Parts: sequence; structure tokens; C-alpha cells
Amino acid sequence: MTTMTLTREAAVRAPRRMAGFWPTSPALMLLTVFFVAPVLGLLLRSVLEPQPGLQNYVEVFGSTTYLRVFVNTFVVATIVTVVTLMLAFPVAWFLAVAPRRWASLLFAVILLSMWTNLLTRTYAWMVLLQRTGIINKTLMGWGLIASPLPLINNLTGVTVGMTYIMLPFMVLPLQSTIRSLDPATFRAASLCGANRLQVFTRVFLPLAVPGIGAGVLMVFVMSLGYFVTPALLGGTSNMMLAELIAQLVQSLLNWGLAGAAALILLVVSLGIYAVQFRFFGFKAAGEVE
Amino acid sequence: MLLDFNRLGGLRVALSAIAFLVGAFLLLPIVVIVLLSFGSSRYLQFPPPAWTLRWYEELFDNPDWLASFATSFEIAVVVAVAATLLGLMASFGLARGRFPGKEALRALFLTPMVMPVVVLAVALYAFFLRLQLNGTFVGFVIAHTIIALPFAIISISNALEGFDKSIEDAAVLCGASPLEAKLRVTLPAIRSGLFGAAIFSFLASWDEVVVAIFMASPDLQTLPVRIFSTLQQDLSPVIAAVSSILVALTVLLMAVAAIFRRGKPA
Repeated sequence: MTTMTLTREAAVRAPRRMAGFWPTSPALMLLTVFFVAPVLGLLLRSVLEPQPGLQNYVEVFGSTTYLRVFVNTFVVATIVTVVTLMLAFPVAWFLAVAPRRWASLLFAVILLSMWTNLLTRTYAWMVLLQRTGIINKTLMGWGLIASPLPLINNLTGVTVGMTYIMLPFMVLPLQSTIRSLDPATFRAASLCGANRLQVFTRVFLPLAVPGIGAGVLMVFVMSLGYFVTPALLGGTSNMMLAELIAQLVQSLLNWGLAGAAALILLVVSLGIYAVQFRFFGFKAAGEVE
Repeated sequence: MLLDFNRLGGLRVALSAIAFLVGAFLLLPIVVIVLLSFGSSRYLQFPPPAWTLRWYEELFDNPDWLASFATSFEIAVVVAVAATLLGLMASFGLARGRFPGKEALRALFLTPMVMPVVVLAVALYAFFLRLQLNGTFVGFVIAHTIIALPFAIISISNALEGFDKSIEDAAVLCGASPLEAKLRVTLPAIRSGLFGAAIFSFLASWDEVVVAIFMASPDLQTLPVRIFSTLQQDLSPVIAAVSSILVALTVLLMAVAAIFRRGKPA
């Protein structure tokens, strides 16, 4: 309320070209002090600690240990993105065309899963995938396997857990894209002699590219920086970048290296979003919530 | 034809089957956890050998768990209020202001939503070490407000852009003061946006775990932090009980949201 009166007074006093800026200033101040400054501070430490120079970057890119973390991060993010897309596309298609009753039922399930606490979902998968968990017990009960499969603390565990969490973020943009397609385009294609497969590959897929692009980029970037699920479902041998940053700070107190790793993660993530912004506009980038 | 469910032929069966399986994949883990929370096996055997309320009793007998519930709730309520107020002001500026750098400012406001949380967590942790704000209520509120703000701004901005400003101007012409017009005409008109902002901000804080893991002290732990640190030791069924309560709250919230949406003219 104070700002609204403030807007008035400010509009009278302030130069015309800043019209309407003042209401944004409390939020801007909060972000400048507690977001921009701390993040810049962290990134600066990467070139200032332990002594000024680029030695942290030399170490990060030069050591096989850290290189393995980078490679693993990209591998996991890629696998999760591909698996999620494969599952999400038919689901989004179903949501867009199926009878309303079934579509809204599935939609409710997706929202329930998405809104359920992140740790609850991760815990559920820890329980299901553990050595004596339901999946191993069931498979052994059916005689399909003789001893429990290693499903947790490895790539399998991370992939299952992350795919579970990322699915809604892929399904939602995809289904809104598919829903917006014009059936007349499809009819035109088949009237012109295209068979089903051709209609799918030459009309459907190209038209769905904005949705696919939005979903793929978002899931990929979110996976790159994910912390909780890899930390609980992954193993020590396939650590991801976010876990490395946390470990450098919490156990090794190596702020210089942590800053360097953070800068790399930040540049890659925001870089990918910039590409998305360029090609699909801001709406696609902010569509998640 | 590919968009007409009844003319998909064999594809219809395939699509329905995949949709069903993915639906089951999404739903089953949650159902299993809720069932296990009533199961008697400490090692989470499924199906449970017997049914019990023991884990809920353990939960409610433990003051630490209750304190974490309260802490998370208090922080989330303050964050919801703070983020909605800051977001409301910022949205007015972004929707109606004409100043250079407006789009850059909008991008800055939304950045906390798209950047990797772990970077923000580590940066704030370092900053708060100097200010001695780690492990304090104020520290949590500041950190979570930054994370919640983009959600509040998106929700309110959308509502504000859908509102015709000439109605507010009409109220002023009819003799209302500009402030009165905003309070009595504009705010009621965008109330669903405000409501959405408050809900999303609450949830952003309530579910936030990464920043909280870094900032928490033994004395002040939000619920996700307590779950996370317990999970690093064992898969205690008490967590299944906590999880089930959280699931119940989610279902309740979805039901409220559905009723709210239904009550609103389409």
C-alpha cells in the first residue's frame, strides 16, 4: 500500500522516464543484496582463493576425478531427458485427444505426483528399489532372478528417480502444444496422399517441436543441477556436479573450487535457457508452474 | 486423424496402454508409501505382515518432528505473505511501468526459478556465514522468499495483464482516489492471481530442501531437512508416516484448488 502512494508521489517528482519503476524497488533491493551479491561473491572466490589466478579452473578441467563428474552429469541428464521424452510424448498425446474423463483422471494423477513432496517421492523410490525392496522381492518371487538386482546407489536408481520427478515437466508443455494443433492440417496432409507414418513424421512431429524443445531443454537443465535425488539414489562412483559442489563446500571447505564448479554449472544452465529464450520466447521458458 | 481418438485404430490401444502404465508408475510409489506407513514391518516389507499405527505414534511422540512441522509451516506462511506483497508491487511496476531495462529486470526477477538451486544455496550459505544468519528464522525467510518470488510474480503478472486498466481509471473518474481504486477495484479483480501467488510461494518454501540443508542448524530444522538427514541414516517407517501426512495435505490442497477453480466463472 505504501508503495502505491509512493508511486504517485514518485511519479510527480521522479523524471518521467522512470515511470512505474519504484514499485519494483523493494524486490530489486532484496534480490541485489541476497541474490546477485552472494552469487557474484561465490563466483569471484573461484579466481581469488586460495590465491588470485585461474588455478581452480586448471584443477577442475585438468583432473580426471572432476572430469568424470562432468561426464557423468551430462550422461545422467541426457539419459533422463531421453527416457522422459519417450514416456511423455505418448502420454501428452493421450491427454490431448482422449475422452475428457480419462484425460482428466490421468491429469490429476500427474498433478498429484508433481505436487507431492520431493523427498517423499525420493523416499518412495529408495524403499521400492532397495535390495530387499518390493521390486526385487517380486522379481525373485516370480523366479525371474536368483539374487537381488542392484537397483539403488547407481545409475539405475538415479535414472528411475529423476525420470519420475521430471515427467510432469515434459508432459505439461507437450500436451499444451499438441492440444493447440489444428486437425485440419492433418486432414489436409492425408487428403494430399500422406499415409499415417508420413503424417506423423512430416506434420505431427515438426508441429510439436516447440513443445518438445521446451520440455527437453527444461528437463535437461533441471537434471544438470539436480542435487537431492542423485544424493539419495545415486552412488559414490557416479557423483553429479551439484553433489560435487555441495561436498567441496561442506566437507572439503574448498570455496575456490566450489566457485569454479558453480560458475561452470551456472554458465551451462543459463546458456541453455538463453538459447531457449531466443528460439521459443519467454513463455515457453516460464511455463512450468 | 492422428488427433481424433476414435480414429486412431491400433494406435489408440497403444496410447491408452502407455498412458495407463505411466499413470501407474506415477501413482504406485505414493500408494505404496501410504500403505507401508500403516504396516508393522520396521524393514518396510510389502505387503505388510500386519497393520499398525505405531509409526504415527512414534512421530507424534517425538518433539523434534513436531518442531520441524511447526518451523516449516511458520517459515512458509511468512514467505507466502512476503513474496505475495513484494510480487504484487513488482508486478505493478512490470505490467504498467515504462522505464528502460524493464525486460532485463523481469528476467532478473525470474532468474532464481531457472538457476540451479545448489548454486544459490552455496552462495547464500557463504554470505550468511558472515552475517551469522545461517540457522536463523530470518535467514530461512530471506532465502525462501527469493526462491518463491518468481512464482508470485508470474501468477500476479498474468492476472494483472488480464485486467483492463480502464476499469480502474473509470473508478478514479467516478471520484475514487487512485489508491482507493486500486484497493477496491483492481485488487479484488486479480484476487485469483494473488491467491495463486500465495499458494505457490507457500509450497516453494514448504518443499524447499537444498538451501535448507545448507542453512539448517541442529536447533532449527525444517521438515525436509529432518527427512533428508534421517534418510541418510536409514529408511525408517516414521518417514513413511510423515510422507503420508504430506500426501494427505497435497490431496487436500488439490481438492481446495479444484473447488476454487470450479467456483470461478469460466
